[in-house]
Amino acid sequence: MPRIVFDKVEKSFGSVNVLPPLDLTFETGEFTVLVGPSGCGKSTTLRILAGLETVSGGEIYFDDRPISKLEPKQRDIAMVFQDYALYPHMNIAQNMSFALRLGKRPKSEITAKVNEVAETLNIRHLLDRKPAELSGGQRQRVAMGRALTRDASTFLFDEPLSNLDAKLRAKMRTELAEMREALDKNMVYVTHDQVEAMTLGERIVVMKDGVVQQQGSPEELFKRPVNMFVAGFLGSPTTNFIAGHLTEADGALRVQGTGFDLPLAPELAARVRDRSDGLRDVVVGIRPSSIGLEPTGAQLELTTKVSEYLGSQSVLVTHCGDQEILVELESSDRIQTGSTLSYGVNLSELMLFDPKTEQRI
Amino acid sequence: MSTLQPKRQSPAFYALLVALIVMSVGPIMLMFTTSLRLNVDIMSDSSSLFFMPTIRNYETALCDFLWYEAAHIDYCDKTFGRALINSLIVATVSTFLTLTIGCMAAYALVRFRFMGRDTVSMTTLLMRMVPPAVLLVPVFGIWSFQFGIDGTLAGLVLAYVALNLPFVIWILQSFISQVPIQLEEAARMDGAGPFQVFFLVVLPLIKPGLAAASIFTFRIAWNEFLIGNALADRDSRTVPVTIVNSITEFNLDWGVVMATGMLLAVPPILFTFVASRQIITGMTAGAVKG
Repeated sequence: MPRIVFDKVEKSFGSVNVLPPLDLTFETGEFTVLVGPSGCGKSTTLRILAGLETVSGGEIYFDDRPISKLEPKQRDIAMVFQDYALYPHMNIAQNMSFALRLGKRPKSEITAKVNEVAETLNIRHLLDRKPAELSGGQRQRVAMGRALTRDASTFLFDEPLSNLDAKLRAKMRTELAEMREALDKNMVYVTHDQVEAMTLGERIVVMKDGVVQQQGSPEELFKRPVNMFVAGFLGSPTTNFIAGHLTEADGALRVQGTGFDLPLAPELAARVRDRSDGLRDVVVGIRPSSIGLEPTGAQLELTTKVSEYLGSQSVLVTHCGDQEILVELESSDRIQTGSTLSYGVNLSELMLFDPKTEQRI
Repeated sequence: MSTLQPKRQSPAFYALLVALIVMSVGPIMLMFTTSLRLNVDIMSDSSSLFFMPTIRNYETALCDFLWYEAAHIDYCDKTFGRALINSLIVATVSTFLTLTIGCMAAYALVRFRFMGRDTVSMTTLLMRMVPPAVLLVPVFGIWSFQFGIDGTLAGLVLAYVALNLPFVIWILQSFISQVPIQLEEAARMDGAGPFQVFFLVVLPLIKPGLAAASIFTFRIAWNEFLIGNALADRDSRTVPVTIVNSITEFNLDWGVVMATGMLLAVPPILFTFVASRQIITGMTAGAVKG
C-alpha cells in the first residue's frame, strides 16, 4: 500500500482553473474523505488520482513513484462510481470479473475470487443476472464488488451512496464502515454529505473552491474548525453565526450584539487578547447543540418561531433580536411556539470568527 | 366510458386500407405469379389466375447451381448465377467495410476532441445530400481513368462504401453518444486499453445501431443500379444491372426476369430478418442511474 502524495497538483479545464496548486497526503491504510459543496474540486481530485483526468501541473507520488503520466490500469487503483457504471451487456459475475479477465488470470482463480467477494457482499444469488434486473442498492453492491475483486492497493469512491434512498444509504454506510475495518487498504471517499464524511472518515479533508480548508479527524474538525466555512459545513443542524462586538467590563471580555450579551470563556478571552490588531467586530458561532434549557452557563433570551420535531430531538427555529438561531433540544422538552424563554449557552463551545478573514479566533 | 370503446371505423377507411395493400402487395404478387408461369401462359390473351405453376423459370435462372439436369434447358446461360454471386460479394463486403470504418469514425467523432470535429461531423451529413446521379460521372471518370478499377468488384465495393459511410457514421454517432461515458471510464479503471474499451464495452452496446446501419447499407449496396451499371463490365455485373441488361431488343423472357426479380428480393429479406433481431431497445438499461 503506497502513501499517496499530491505535490502542487494543478488542474484547469480550458481557462477555468479548478484546482489551484494542491498539496495533499493520503497516509498508508487510511480512510480519507474528501468533502465539500458541489464544484469544490473534490471529484476532480479523485479523478486525477484515478488517472481519468490529466494533471495540468505538479506531480502525484505513490511512495516515491511519480504516477501522473500513467494510465489508470498502471496505477493499481479500483474505483466505485457514483452512478454504478455497470456493463449492461454482461451479467453480474462477468461484470465483477472483467478486470481479472482482462488481466488474463486463470479461470479457476477468477471464479474463486468472484465467489468470495460475492459472498462477503451478499450478492451470490445475483451472479447470473443482468444489471437491469437489479435494484439500486444491489447495483451499488455489485459496483463495490467489482472494485473489490481487483485487489488493488487503493480504492476510490466517488459519491457512491448519493443515488440511494435515505434508509438504504444508512445501511450501506454501516456496511462501508465494516468494510473499512476489514480491509487494510488505502481508501479515498468523495462525498458532499457531511454525515457520511463524519461517520466514515478516519481523516476528513474539507475543500472549497479547490482549496483544502482543513483536514483532520472528524472530532477535531467538529470541535476546532479553523474557519466559518468548516464550522458551517460540518454538523447538522448547521452552526448559528451571529454578528457581535467585543466589549470589556471589569477586566472580563464579553461579546455583545442585538439581544445577547455573553461572557467569553477564559481560554477564548486569552486568545482574543493575544491578537494585536484590536479586533472589535466579530462573528459568534454557536452550535445548536451548545444551547440548552439548563440554567448553567450564560443566559440567552430566545423567542421560538418554529419547532421541528425529529423524534428524539427537536430543532427550534428561534429569534434573538432580528437574527435567526437554531436550537437543538431533547424532544421531551416541549416548547410552545411564540414563547420567549431563557436558554443556557455552553460557553466552552462558543466560537468567534474574524468577519474579514472568516478565520476562527 | 364510451370513449374507451374501440371506435368503429367507416367502410371508407377499410376501402382505403385495402386499396393501399393492393397497391403495395399487388406488384409483388404479380411478379411472383408471373415467375411461376411459362412464357406461353404469360403472353396468351387468356391469362387468368388459374394456371399450372412451374419452377422452370427458376431452373433457367439458376441453371449453373442445379445439381440435376433440367430437361428444358438446352444451353445454360450463367449470367444470372454469376450476377447473384457478384451481388452477394459486393453487398456483404461493402456492408462489413462500411460498418467497420463507420463505427470507428463515429466513435472518434463523438469521444475525441480535435480541431474541425464539428465540421467533419457536419460534412458527413452534407455528403449524404448529394444525389448519387450527380456523383455518377465523376466517379466513372476517376474509377476508370485514374484508379483503373472499373469493371472490378473492388471498384464497386469502394463506391458503395463511400456512398454509405456518411449515413452510417451519422447514425452510429447518435448511438455511441448514448453510451454513458462512465462505462468507458469504469472499463479503463478495470485495466482496459483504448481498443478493449471500444470492442468489449462500446461495440456490444451499440449493436442495435450496427444492425440498423447494416440493414440500410446492405439494402443500398444490393439494390444499387446507377453506379453499378456505369462501373461494372460483363463479369462484374450485379443482379439489378443484369436484369435490366437481359431486356434486349431481340428477346425478353418475362418468366425468367420475374424469377430473378423474386430471387433478388430474397437475400435482403433474410438479412433484414436476421439483423433486425439485434435491434433491441434499451440495451444500456441498468448501466447507470437515471
